[in-house]
Amino acid sequence: MDSPVVNPQPVVKVTRARRSRFYWLGRILTYVILIFGAIIFIFPFFWMISSSLMTLGETITRVLVPKVPQWVNYVDAWNQAKFSKYFMNSVLITLGTLAGLLITSILAGYAFGRIDFKGKNILFGLFLATMMIPESVTLIPNYLLIRGSIFPIPGGTWLNKYWSLTVPFIANAFSIFLLRQFFAQIPKELWDAARIDGADHLRFLVQVVLPISKAPIMTVLLFGFTGSWNAFQWPLLVTTNDTWRPIMVGLWSFVNEAGPQTHLLMAGAVISLIPILIIYFLTQKQFTQGIATTGLKG
Amino acid sequence: MTEAVISVKPKKTGTTLHKLRTREQITGYLFVLPALIVILVFGLFPIGYSIYMSLFNWRVTKGAYVGGKNYLLIFGNWTNLLITLAGIALIVGAFWIWNNAFKSLSKGQTIAKVVAAVIMILGGVIFITGWGYMYDSGNQNFLNSLIVTLYYALGTVPAEVILGMILAFLLYQDIIGKDIFRMIYFLPYVTPSVTSAVVFQIIFSLRETSIANMIIGWFGISPQKWRFEPKPLLNLLGLDLSGFLAGPSLALISIMIYGIWSFVGYNTVIFLAGLGNIPKETYEAAEIDGATRSQQFRFITMPLLSPTTFYLVLIGFIGTFKAFNHIYVLRTPSAGDSVITTSLLIFDNFYKANQYGIATAQAIVLFVVILGLTLAQNKLIGERVFYG
Repeated sequence: MDSPVVNPQPVVKVTRARRSRFYWLGRILTYVILIFGAIIFIFPFFWMISSSLMTLGETITRVLVPKVPQWVNYVDAWNQAKFSKYFMNSVLITLGTLAGLLITSILAGYAFGRIDFKGKNILFGLFLATMMIPESVTLIPNYLLIRGSIFPIPGGTWLNKYWSLTVPFIANAFSIFLLRQFFAQIPKELWDAARIDGADHLRFLVQVVLPISKAPIMTVLLFGFTGSWNAFQWPLLVTTNDTWRPIMVGLWSFVNEAGPQTHLLMAGAVISLIPILIIYFLTQKQFTQGIATTGLKG
Repeated sequence: MTEAVISVKPKKTGTTLHKLRTREQITGYLFVLPALIVILVFGLFPIGYSIYMSLFNWRVTKGAYVGGKNYLLIFGNWTNLLITLAGIALIVGAFWIWNNAFKSLSKGQTIAKVVAAVIMILGGVIFITGWGYMYDSGNQNFLNSLIVTLYYALGTVPAEVILGMILAFLLYQDIIGKDIFRMIYFLPYVTPSVTSAVVFQIIFSLRETSIANMIIGWFGISPQKWRFEPKPLLNLLGLDLSGFLAGPSLALISIMIYGIWSFVGYNTVIFLAGLGNIPKETYEAAEIDGATRSQQFRFITMPLLSPTTFYLVLIGFIGTFKAFNHIYVLRTPSAGDSVITTSLLIFDNFYKANQYGIATAQAIVLFVVILGLTLAQNKLIGERVFYG
């Protein structure tokens, strides 16, 4: 670029030519890197699906694709490896958790966002503080709690029971915070109008607030769903048999209990991924945005 | 509507207004109650109870009160802890002097930097001495696990942030199939960690035919034991280092590769959001002033992106100290302690060894470490962040 400017005309031409040559080089390089990255990100998924269709023999040899896709692996994983049981457990646990989560966080989010009551700010601060506590700290007391060792709980112990997998998760500070932020922005005029019509808070919430809050509620549901479906450490602790063992613990225990049956393991992995994938593809934009603006995993 | 309000108002005498307010209060409490019960019982109560448990010789059932003994087992004795903390305090002080002190003097900056450097070295020496004492007389497993966690954090977070930034920059252009790329990059993050870790179990298996061995085979490297290899990578490469400098084991590096793979997409998406928030006018103005692309990057993009970068570093660091699922799935008995991060060690002490009192004490120390790191990062990096 430092070429002496004797005659401006050619210089301009040269730079333009150069720029366009670099431009195309840059474009090509960009795509090469992007595609290379995509291959690395997608490869384990390809590998998972591919080995889920292999014979046991094929999984230990160096082949990338099965000769004949063994669809029967999925039938075996579903029935014989009991992934059907784990899958249904996870579905029921997730549904129960979501139902509870919706009720508690909508009510609490509304109260924190729109009702004035004494000690509101202190309470909200306490709620938020729980978000910073690592699971390691709360895990052990919670375990004793659901075992009924700290104080008596209905049913004696919740070990291996549905309640231990749902009840501790039917409220969390994050969902309440998310909804509070949204509810607090709803114009006061709406509430004034509703009150003149004789509505109380509950009716206003159900008839006015909820219909216009589909987006944040959807985000709460998405987070609740992934959190519940992906849960591992806690269920590992509180399920010692198959009765309520969810799919992630099932997947992990399959490795230890069934030995190196890679093809069935991978079929199980695919099964465990399907619900998440369906939700991800259906709500992709909201899913990505929700996570981008709030942050999901630690 | 205004008329209606005015006409209603006079009817509300003092008592009815008071009643209304009380009803409002009660409604508030009733609405919060369900969430409050759950969070109180499963979120707040366990914190206090954890501290309580950590003061007892608690093995499955409560034993004798032992005071600070469970904590003492970690550090050896209180003097060791004090020496180590003093070292940390000096290092923090050195940072403060570097940034803030002697500002009123001419050449104050130079003086501050010299003083800070001296204190920093002193603090470092004291810290290492204290750590050495703790290591000799305290719980080596726990202290080791902190080092493993630190390796894990240093080996993953910077790589994740840099790769995420590069991919975001590339995607933030006119790219055909931009949405598809973003969707693919984000996929590993969305995938349940147990599911993807189970796949990586197979990829990093010690079989000669495993994917990991196939890939290094292309470069003429002989098959490795990956998740089953407790030896540090540097030793495998022929460098004869020991102690902290030897670095992470190949087993831990396998887990790091998984960590980076699963987390880069998240950083990419956040960086893309951050880039989208930088107003186009800023670049246009800079271009008119004759700034080159690299100058624009250096003086506009980097500073305006710094809050995002800071956020991601913080989230990443805290995340590695909390990480559990994928490490638990990917660890092998033969990799031994070399992959046991602190959160895994606590879980093992609790779940396998039934040392409830010791495990809770360690969990609380871990929490304090996380809190300290968060504060330090807030202070040190946070001050350099440009918030517009």
